[in-house]
Amino acid sequence: MPVFEQGYKHWDGDLSGHAWRWWTIARQGVRIAMQGWLLRILTIMALLPALVLVCVFVLWGFLEQQAEWALPIARMFFPSEVVADPAAYRIIVWTLAFHFFFKFELFVSMILVLLVGPGLISQDLRFNAVTLYLSRPLYRWDYFLGKLGVIGWFLALVAILPAVVAYLLGVLFSFKLSVVADTWHLLLGCVGYGLVIVLSAGTLMLALSSLSRSSRYVASFWVGIWLVSSMVAGVMTGIHGEQAGRAAMKAAVLDARQQPGNPMPAHIEQWRRRQAAEMEAYLDDWRPMIAYTGNLERVGRALLGVDAVVDRLADEVVGRRGSPEGRVMTRVIFSGPRFPWEWSALILLALFGASLWLLTTRVRTLDRLS
Amino acid sequence: MLFQLEKVTKTYGRITALKDLSVAAPKGAIGLLGPNGAGKTTLIRTLLGLINIDRGGGTVLGRDIRVKPLDIRQRVGYVPENECLFPGVTGVDFVRFAGELCGMDFDDAMQRSHEVLDYVGVGEFRYRKVESYSTGMKQRVKIASALVHDPTLLILDEPTNGMDPAGRDEILALAHDLAHNKGMSLIFSSHLLPDVEHVCDHVVVMNRGQVIQQGRIAELKRVHRQRYQVRLKEPPEEFIAKVKEAGCIVDFRDDLLEVQMNDGQDESLLWRIASDLSVQIRHLRPQRSTLEDVFLSAVAEVR
Amino acid sequence: MAADDPRTHAGPPVVRPDLRLKEGEQPVPAPRATEVAPVVIRFDEVSKWYGPVIGVNKLTLDIPPGITGLLGPNGAGKSTLLQLATGQLKPSQGSVTVLGEEVWGNTALFRRVGLCPEQDAFWEWMTGKEFVTTCAGLAGLSPAGPAVARAIHFVGMEEHQDRAIKGYSKGMRQRIKLAQALVHDPEVLFLDEPLTGTDPLARRDLMDIILGLAADGKSVVVSSHVLYEVQSLTQYIILLNRGRLVAEGSIRSIRDLIDKHPHKIVLVTDRYRELASRLVGWEDVEAVQVLRDQGGVMVETRQPDAFYARLPGLVADGTPIREVYSEDDNLEAVFKYLVK
Repeated sequence: MPVFEQGYKHWDGDLSGHAWRWWTIARQGVRIAMQGWLLRILTIMALLPALVLVCVFVLWGFLEQQAEWALPIARMFFPSEVVADPAAYRIIVWTLAFHFFFKFELFVSMILVLLVGPGLISQDLRFNAVTLYLSRPLYRWDYFLGKLGVIGWFLALVAILPAVVAYLLGVLFSFKLSVVADTWHLLLGCVGYGLVIVLSAGTLMLALSSLSRSSRYVASFWVGIWLVSSMVAGVMTGIHGEQAGRAAMKAAVLDARQQPGNPMPAHIEQWRRRQAAEMEAYLDDWRPMIAYTGNLERVGRALLGVDAVVDRLADEVVGRRGSPEGRVMTRVIFSGPRFPWEWSALILLALFGASLWLLTTRVRTLDRLS
Repeated sequence: MLFQLEKVTKTYGRITALKDLSVAAPKGAIGLLGPNGAGKTTLIRTLLGLINIDRGGGTVLGRDIRVKPLDIRQRVGYVPENECLFPGVTGVDFVRFAGELCGMDFDDAMQRSHEVLDYVGVGEFRYRKVESYSTGMKQRVKIASALVHDPTLLILDEPTNGMDPAGRDEILALAHDLAHNKGMSLIFSSHLLPDVEHVCDHVVVMNRGQVIQQGRIAELKRVHRQRYQVRLKEPPEEFIAKVKEAGCIVDFRDDLLEVQMNDGQDESLLWRIASDLSVQIRHLRPQRSTLEDVFLSAVAEVR
Repeated sequence: MAADDPRTHAGPPVVRPDLRLKEGEQPVPAPRATEVAPVVIRFDEVSKWYGPVIGVNKLTLDIPPGITGLLGPNGAGKSTLLQLATGQLKPSQGSVTVLGEEVWGNTALFRRVGLCPEQDAFWEWMTGKEFVTTCAGLAGLSPAGPAVARAIHFVGMEEHQDRAIKGYSKGMRQRIKLAQALVHDPEVLFLDEPLTGTDPLARRDLMDIILGLAADGKSVVVSSHVLYEVQSLTQYIILLNRGRLVAEGSIRSIRDLIDKHPHKIVLVTDRYRELASRLVGWEDVEAVQVLRDQGGVMVETRQPDAFYARLPGLVADGTPIREVYSEDDNLEAVFKYLVK
């Protein structure tokens, strides 16, 4: 029996190409992140709306087939003309379903990014791991892409994947391939929106993470950008709406004085005018652009084609039976401020560029004096 | 040829880190010496293909540093000087991840990680988080992470920094073993010259961005003819007097005598005197320059 | 046991004022102290624990004047010892006295004691001069100007004193740390790893500075991991392990006391095998190993004195001994034997 070498042994194996390095980094990051119990609970909780979405689509599929058991359930949620002729309203319902799903998941995504993101680069800077990464056969961009992949993994799991699964199930359960022809833009829109969130929020978080060695500071920056900007936007929008409402009320008062004997009681007229003015002001407002998430939301709406669908809903469905105010209210509830989405896209693009610039300056190559 | 550089120049703004540097080193254990600010770190980064040099070129393990830097880094393991680690993982995960970053497969990297951790002497500690390690352990894990992909060249930058004597001995034994028994080439950069002497055969001395001295250590250290180091048990006054009487020059430093003999004399003279005076000679060796002498004289020459 | 070894624990210590002879000078016989030398630092059954973790365990030692090396593996208690001696920690048991006074809470004593810590923590934006001036102010020196200038001159940093510390090299940082420890002209200095990270040039300079301090009459305690550096500075060491005192005294006398390991002495000669067979016949020789590469023999003996005494006779008999040296008569060997 030979005696074996106990010391150092050489190794002769296969080394994979450089293309997959970012995946290795992403996988490691996900593995580390999943060690936290809070993150695991939140991810599971975030999948609940995904479940709801999937159920809605499955239900819709059966409704299109006019399955016996589906009809009573559908009648609980949808008006009768929708139940009678689902195909015609498919676009509206699907678009709005995705719209509300993403509205919720946007909020959840921000929290997930808050939990996963801060330590990604700040810990590496703190423990000087960047030297270890860069002295291996990979580029800086592999590193960034890998770290982005960690955030991307969670957001994809929570937002993109459920949307895609729901879409496929909806198509499947409707047993009609013509569905795809009508609605493929929705699928593209969902994936696109998901990617926009990943790219925008992901690079922003990575840039913030590279600013400090302490994950707590980074987390506070993130909360600042997200919540504070939302609060400021909300306050300003509210003020703007208030002002418009007051102006309308004053106008109503003046009108009432000039026209005595108006059939409507004065205060109800004032109230109606005020409401109308506030809603119009809301739809015209640009101030929601101040909020970071407002921009994401606006671009998402454009990608999903929500505004057009909601207009249809307002004019055809609601307008047919309701009042003009009902139409405006539909627009307010189901869509949102109608400023041009290109402005939001530009803002997001600018943030994206700034984040990349910040990343490249903060995580420097080893090509410098120590 | 392990690596060779031709007229490499690198400036950072006003500071010239490497000035027209040309060096060629054979395979084996190379010591890299130089005062702080000499450009050793810049040289190492040039060899790894991590920086863009202004002028010149070179090859490492036959690969051009300007054209194939990634290829070079796949065959080289680098143990940086300052404290660095991947946060939040255990020792095994650390080394395994390092292997994966070089392109190893997950399972290969895992198996190899355990093998290498055995070699560097990290026992059960490997299952604990790296942040909780002592300095010596962190250093070993760093070395393990550089060895995991079986590099052809291992670059050690101040590997014994902050380690206690036992740990230092083990690291030096490891480096010596790798270089002399396992066929790995080594670049060992350190300020502790006895360590370099113990591990390396060849040395490159730098100062101010240039190589001022290089060669085999054994050749650079001269043996002084007829010059001896002597130490006695008893106070040496009488002995010195007698030796001087015989015509030799005596230099007395710390508790060591340095005796310069004339032609025709040798150490038997000292034994005779010792016997006459009944003193014990406890140390008698021909004077050899140490690596420190080589270093200091090389640096002094350039100044 | 060599009674002539300087500062042996047992015998009256001999302080060598002059460590280097100039060319042509005769060595001056060192004066012998007629009384027991003063103790600079005394630990009397000192224990210190942090929660359940023991720092030092019933430590009793006296540190005499001059340079003393403080050694030990990691976790041995060296930093605890330094912190107890400089008043940063209160002993859980026992008492620590420096220059005859209790240390804890004794702010007046801190004027006479200087510490050069291991950590590299500065106010980076300050210049060297400003930094030393600030520390001088903290030590209560006022006006600080001349003392600062003297300290900076002593460490050789006049050229760089007006540059920000941020741009200093490691050697410069160590020097400026030393300057702040010296500025209030203390009688006792504690240096924690003063030579780490310095290149051989700076190391030579720093060692000369430390030797100069001792020549000036100050007592210096140097804690270091690098054994050969400590050996170049002093022969007197304190070795700690696991919070306890393992050895104290001159390296050679400690070596003589380690009975478990016989002394290893190498003899290089032409006909080494003949010598080997002869040596095996000596009573006090325990083992003889033939060193083929060097052309000599290595002898293990527990009675080095008797062995060395016979060597001149051997040469006279016709065996020319070209080299004789001891492999383990140094600090590395002592450390290895005692700390296992």
